[in-house]
Amino acid sequence: MGVSYIPVARVGELAAGATKEIDLGGRQVLLAFVEGKYFAFSRQCPHEEADLKTGTLEGGKIRCTNHNYCFDLQTGECVLPKGGPPLTVLPAEERGEDVCIRLEW
Amino acid sequence: MDYDLLVRRGRVVDGSGLPSFIADVGVKDGKIAEVGKLKGSAARTIDADGLAVSPGFIDHHTHLDAQLLWDPYGTCEPQHGITTVVMGNCGLTLAPVKNGDEDALVKSFVRVEAIPRFALEEGVKWGWHSYGEYLDNFEGKVGINVGGLVGHIAVRHNAMGEQAVERKATGKEVQHMRSLVLESMEGGALGISTNRNERHMREDGKPVASRLADDEELFALCDVLAERNGGVIETILGRNKIEHFEFYRVLAERTQRPILWQSLQHRWTEPNLWREQLDAVEPIFRAGYQAYGLSHTVPLVRHFELKNCQVFDEFPTWKNLMFLPVEVRKQAFADPETRQKLRADLADPRPTNFHRRWDIVRVEKCVKPENQKYNGKSIAELAIMRNQDPLDAFLDLSLEEDLGTVFWNANNGGDSNAMGEILRSPYVLVGTSDAGAHVQFGADFGYGTILLGLWVRERQVMTLEQAIHKLTFHVASIFGLQGRGLLRPGYAADLAIFNPATVNSHEPEWANDYPAGSKRLIQRSEGIHYTIVNGTVIHEDGRMSGELPGHVIRGPLYRQQKAAA
Repeated sequence: MGVSYIPVARVGELAAGATKEIDLGGRQVLLAFVEGKYFAFSRQCPHEEADLKTGTLEGGKIRCTNHNYCFDLQTGECVLPKGGPPLTVLPAEERGEDVCIRLEW
Repeated sequence: MDYDLLVRRGRVVDGSGLPSFIADVGVKDGKIAEVGKLKGSAARTIDADGLAVSPGFIDHHTHLDAQLLWDPYGTCEPQHGITTVVMGNCGLTLAPVKNGDEDALVKSFVRVEAIPRFALEEGVKWGWHSYGEYLDNFEGKVGINVGGLVGHIAVRHNAMGEQAVERKATGKEVQHMRSLVLESMEGGALGISTNRNERHMREDGKPVASRLADDEELFALCDVLAERNGGVIETILGRNKIEHFEFYRVLAERTQRPILWQSLQHRWTEPNLWREQLDAVEPIFRAGYQAYGLSHTVPLVRHFELKNCQVFDEFPTWKNLMFLPVEVRKQAFADPETRQKLRADLADPRPTNFHRRWDIVRVEKCVKPENQKYNGKSIAELAIMRNQDPLDAFLDLSLEEDLGTVFWNANNGGDSNAMGEILRSPYVLVGTSDAGAHVQFGADFGYGTILLGLWVRERQVMTLEQAIHKLTFHVASIFGLQGRGLLRPGYAADLAIFNPATVNSHEPEWANDYPAGSKRLIQRSEGIHYTIVNGTVIHEDGRMSGELPGHVIRGPLYRQQKAAA
């Protein structure tokens, strides 16, 4: 059992509303900086696997441009349509000068 | 010449479900002229020795409403032996439409059926208003036969404009909708489709229009079909619930028309739901009414390695491990304490898509020579072979192979006994290809070739004759497709000639054949040698002829009108 903090960006590296593409253990992840908070989530839309890199950030949510499915970036819940498949999200936080993904097992 | 086409010595599987037999099939003027030991001359002869000859398959659940406007074959339908398609399912059609309402319909298609907007904008050349005028577009311009249901969503927009996605209809608006349904049916629609799926929204997030309709409105529209004694009623209510069967019963009894409902599938996470659904629908049929459940033949399969895998994202510890660097992940998988957490994760009783059954997950391909003996074994079998607990066997094998072992999993459609009962049920309509929809996500043109290859040949859950019946005359009978679906003299010469020993589907692959250069998934077939539409060969061993012999198949109210005239 353990915890890993994986640095994925420098604090201040991302402008407000920007995203960064990250390879995390072979999985493709996006790091977003929205309203002063960092969110990390799978690049693949769980609806029909579109690339969320082209999605639209709306506050703490991301809307997939393919079919407008919308996901809460904190919980991964599909908020539009309700009950849709959840987005895989990961906890991101500032640790000193770095933005890290926290992986606990 | 006695025949335009003579198919010699094939095994005729005639669509009735009766035993197959060796015979020649003579075709003249687009129809089957004779079946038997034939001696006449023919303009073209096909040697079908060793092959099966059946009616062409009828794909009753497509969304080819747009694609057929730019692709006269509905590619890849003919490649899989399909000679007739029904579009307009799930409430979605491109007619009837008023000037200025076109984009409202596009908004629903883009979102619900996942067809790229730019493909629709480039490929659909509007210009019709009524459903009959829309069908006129296909006359003489299609390679396969095409018919369609009129969609409640289009009808509602036509009668209510944008208010269709905002509120309940007034009595006057319902009357207007009834007149539109009647006009559409008289123009050739094969029935009506509606959509109450709680997940089906337009592009702008508003519910598709039919979701705003109450029972009173929907029943009033379906009454049009009852009053004129023709057409089917196709429905999608969203998540499968046993409570829905009361709705189907009421609608079936009220209209005495065939009701089609979605859907009935085997899922490992709800392993008894399909049986409960069959039990719930049986009394409707016993009482003398019809409510057919749609089912699919294609298992939802995922191949994965623990190097890069999403199968376990629903389980917190598993998910976190899958994002760790591979070397750290391997250490974690080997750690006994972590294994306990992984085990506890899987034991958590909350509902998940992953079924957590080690008798279903299989070893598909091992890396090391000494492990090849495990290929094809379930994890439960692997555990016995290795004298280990299944989770330990799964992780240890993968660790031995540097996480490179390929595993196989299917969350639905994997149980042969269940699939056999579902597919054989007379209350089940086989096929939910969704052709023309979700074009960048999947391609299930091959639901029929998978039925013949996987479920008939490999798993032997039904006979070839039963399967062909399900793909042909069963559908034609329910949809009222006169003169199609049987291989008998006088019937349309829609034929599929295939090799039962090889017929199957390939994995979907990408193609750039959609308008505006947009890409989509297509699916090739194996073992379908000829597809013949109204007596003309349109597909021969993977090649399309370029001919367009398809007919527009118009429904019962159109035929009534024509007969009266």
